[in-house]
Amino acid sequence: MKQNSEQSFITCPTCSGSGANDKNFSCAECGGIGEGLFYRGNFLYWGLRISRGNIFLRQVKHFLDLLIDLIAFLIFIGGLGSLVFWLWQNLSAGILNKILFFWQEKSIFILFFWLGLAALMFLIYRADKMRDDEARIKEFKLIELKTYPDNWEQLRRYKKRLDISLTFRDKTLSIIEDAYSLALKLKNPEVTSLHLFSAMLKSVKISVLFARLNVSGRDLVDRLNSQLSALPATLKKEADLKIANEVKEILMQGFVEAYELKEDNTTVLNLLLPCVVSNRIVAEILLDLKIDENKIKNTIAWFRINEQQVANYRLYRKLAIFKPKTIMDRAYTAVATPLLNNFGYDLTLAAKWGRLQLCVARAKEITAVFDALKSGANGVLLTGQDGVGKKTIIEGIAREMVTEENVPDFMRDKRLIELDVARLVSGATAADAEARLLTIIDEINRAGNIILFIDNLENIIGITAGAEGSLELSEVLATQLEKGLLRCLATASDQNYSQHVEKSAIGRTMTRLKIAEPDKDQAIQILESKIGYLEARNNIFFSYNAIEAAVELSAKFIHEKSLPEKAIEILEKTAVKAAGEHKGERHICDKNDIALIINQLTEIPVQDLGEQEGEKLLNLEEEIHKYMVDQEEAVDMVANSLRRARTEMREGKRPIASFLFLGPTGVGKTELAKTISRVYFNKKDLLVRLDMSEYQEEDSIKKMIGDSDGTKGYLTEAVRQKPFSLILLDEFEKANPKIFNLFLQVMDDGRLTDGQGQTIDFTNSIVIATSNAGSNYIEDEIIKNTPIEQIKNSLINEQLSRIMRPELINRFDGIIVFKPLSEKDTVAIARLMLADVAGMLKAKGMELEISDAGLAEIARLGYDPKFGARPLRRLIQDKIEDEIAKKILGNELARRDTVVINDSAEIEVKKAREL
Amino acid sequence: MLKNSNITLSKIFADIFKDIVFFPFWWYSLGLAKIVKGLAGFVAGKEKSLALIVWIKNIFVPMYGQRDIQGAIISFFVRLIQIIFRSLILLFWVIIALIIFWLWLLSPILIIYMIVLQF
Repeated sequence: MKQNSEQSFITCPTCSGSGANDKNFSCAECGGIGEGLFYRGNFLYWGLRISRGNIFLRQVKHFLDLLIDLIAFLIFIGGLGSLVFWLWQNLSAGILNKILFFWQEKSIFILFFWLGLAALMFLIYRADKMRDDEARIKEFKLIELKTYPDNWEQLRRYKKRLDISLTFRDKTLSIIEDAYSLALKLKNPEVTSLHLFSAMLKSVKISVLFARLNVSGRDLVDRLNSQLSALPATLKKEADLKIANEVKEILMQGFVEAYELKEDNTTVLNLLLPCVVSNRIVAEILLDLKIDENKIKNTIAWFRINEQQVANYRLYRKLAIFKPKTIMDRAYTAVATPLLNNFGYDLTLAAKWGRLQLCVARAKEITAVFDALKSGANGVLLTGQDGVGKKTIIEGIAREMVTEENVPDFMRDKRLIELDVARLVSGATAADAEARLLTIIDEINRAGNIILFIDNLENIIGITAGAEGSLELSEVLATQLEKGLLRCLATASDQNYSQHVEKSAIGRTMTRLKIAEPDKDQAIQILESKIGYLEARNNIFFSYNAIEAAVELSAKFIHEKSLPEKAIEILEKTAVKAAGEHKGERHICDKNDIALIINQLTEIPVQDLGEQEGEKLLNLEEEIHKYMVDQEEAVDMVANSLRRARTEMREGKRPIASFLFLGPTGVGKTELAKTISRVYFNKKDLLVRLDMSEYQEEDSIKKMIGDSDGTKGYLTEAVRQKPFSLILLDEFEKANPKIFNLFLQVMDDGRLTDGQGQTIDFTNSIVIATSNAGSNYIEDEIIKNTPIEQIKNSLINEQLSRIMRPELINRFDGIIVFKPLSEKDTVAIARLMLADVAGMLKAKGMELEISDAGLAEIARLGYDPKFGARPLRRLIQDKIEDEIAKKILGNELARRDTVVINDSAEIEVKKAREL
Repeated sequence: MLKNSNITLSKIFADIFKDIVFFPFWWYSLGLAKIVKGLAGFVAGKEKSLALIVWIKNIFVPMYGQRDIQGAIISFFVRLIQIIFRSLILLFWVIIALIIFWLWLLSPILIIYMIVLQF
């Protein structure tokens, strides 16, 4: 005996779980049970013996059953036919009397007819018996055991034993038999979970499941076959073939799962997950195909949701028949409500006709609403973020009120009516609106069968009839609620609740119920319930990965709305796009289809790395150096952090990267930032540039993050609109110290709360601050040939700490010191800048030729160790660009001409041949 | 029919034999109970959709909230007519159910009688 507690398997030590002794008779110790499990006080075991003979017999039994049913059916049809034949024969003879009293006639045809009816009765019996005899999980009582039997002697005599094979139907049994036959065919000594998994793949349900997971069945089968062929083929005779304990354990775990999910019988779906968990090879193969346990679990849940939906729908339609079709209750005691009908929308009636959407995975919230009402509250207010599904919960309540299965007594035979506030107040003065509302409440009160619902409760707050101090619309409703004259449900978003509702009378009167955002698995299940409709409408398919990606990516990158709505929107957009692009074919939407939509909405690259992009990232340094000269250390550091970001090798809670670029003016700090934006983001407009010298005052903080009066902050609004961007903070040291504190939070948590209380996500941006602080020191030390590392250390410890707090300096991922430019660098920079000029000329159809000596001369003239590359830019502007402009205006330069920069850096024009 | 216990050929044939022999017994025991339950459910469903009991319970409650004397009197008579009318419809369904019940009960005897009559 191993262990004696629930949920641990007990194996017979004599036969090691096989249930048979050496001579292939039942093991004397365990009586052939072999292995079992205590569950709810019952001892579970697998009692069905599988052998080739048994498999054959089961097939014979199936065949005979079918044959008997067929014979009975043929007799019945033949009986009907013979009566018709007899009637036809006698009709032509024209003897009406004979036909009307056909049973009094003696004829072989009539006899056959009566035999046919007997066969019909037999068929009715067989059908009912078949339903009754179907393997079924019966609920059993929980037996609390203080001590478990601790030897097989006791176990053999233990009365509460359950052979779980009785809960397996033929379809599932045949899978186990297939696994057995497979092991026999391969001459393996044991039927293992690998055989079982392999056999499962033949089941339709499992192949659909793997199709949903976007796995190619052939690929999976090939991998399995190669693993199966590696198993030892040592079996000599069938009698030696054993069913491995792991397989029995899988079957028992499958049963336990089916029992706990209150399923009818143990199906292949119950066996899949235990099988994957039990076999390391299967788990590894699936992991190679990017499938983990959680994915399988959620895909199985998808199947269940679909089955549940169909079952629920049937039950719903059956019960909905009984709900009155009119505004009256069943006893006709209600009173007509003409005004309310005008300003309201009958949700229960809409639900009866199936016009409302399904409410999935929200049973807990619905029960909470009922409980609040039962405990005496007349008003219940649902609050939560936008998109968490407050209205859907209300619609779920309307559906419950139609079936009247689980609703409290006072909600039976009632109508749930949504008050259309827009219609109530439109075209009316506040006083009129109040009068209307009062009349409506009177109607509700008299009718007695109405529960009111107000969506966005804040809409009725602040509408007041007269001078200061007079009642406003929501107060009117609040007083009536307090008097208990009506019951009311309402919704409000969190923001509106705290801004408008919380302090109002109506907010105090109603019981608040917070609706939380569903967690990932819940959201996936809600989405799974919507898929069928989307697929049917757009004639496409969704893989499980697509659903998971819609939830995960929208949770990560879209912050203005909540789950599940934002994920549903992504799915809808994907479906419409895929349907448009793949007309006529049944396209399977995968993770990348979802990623493309997210990318379109946020510009964040979330799709899988393509080969081209991977190559670009690998050669990022080279790419940057096309626009930047030298500054190797800076370029390397930036390139590495970008690669980490794109391959998701970073913590998700901070910006992609944050750098502080230090160095004298004109050495390329800003240029590097711009180059990154050009190379990595591919777009220049994803650069958010802030000149920090404009934020020196304390109140400039408002300019940056906005104000509670509604003014949008420059920084927060820019990042909100383009979360995937590069934020360049020029001359960072000049900003007000309070602004430094803001960036402490940005770099630490990756988020910032703006003036309106909205949280802005910075985890997809790159923050680069540039500073000239200590540039004189850098120049001096470079001349002295001090190593860069030493310069950097003393800069951070002495120069920078005078301006910024050490914790801020510490937050940067990297502090990079830019070296002053050498004369050699200047030549390279001059070449880059002239390449820009050449580009401009090319657009006008002209060429540019530069002599080496001319380039060197420009570099010499433009070189100024103090101001870096800036004087060079000015020089090129004055000496080259201005001159070219003049020549174009003076018609000295036309299309196809070549501009030459000669050895003394002067402009010459080489005229092209006239055409 | 056999359950998924360990099968032998003799068990299979015994089961088929049992099916044929015991089927008339089933007809008058379990089968009869099931048909009665089914018909009762059918009649209850019809009653629920006619709301007859709701009408009877509310016979003295004025319709449409008309609580004045005239309203109450009119309401009483309207309800009475409604109740009679709805009872007739329900009665029709009960008769249908009874016919089915008797058919179930008598059909084996009838069929055997008719077969015997042929010889």
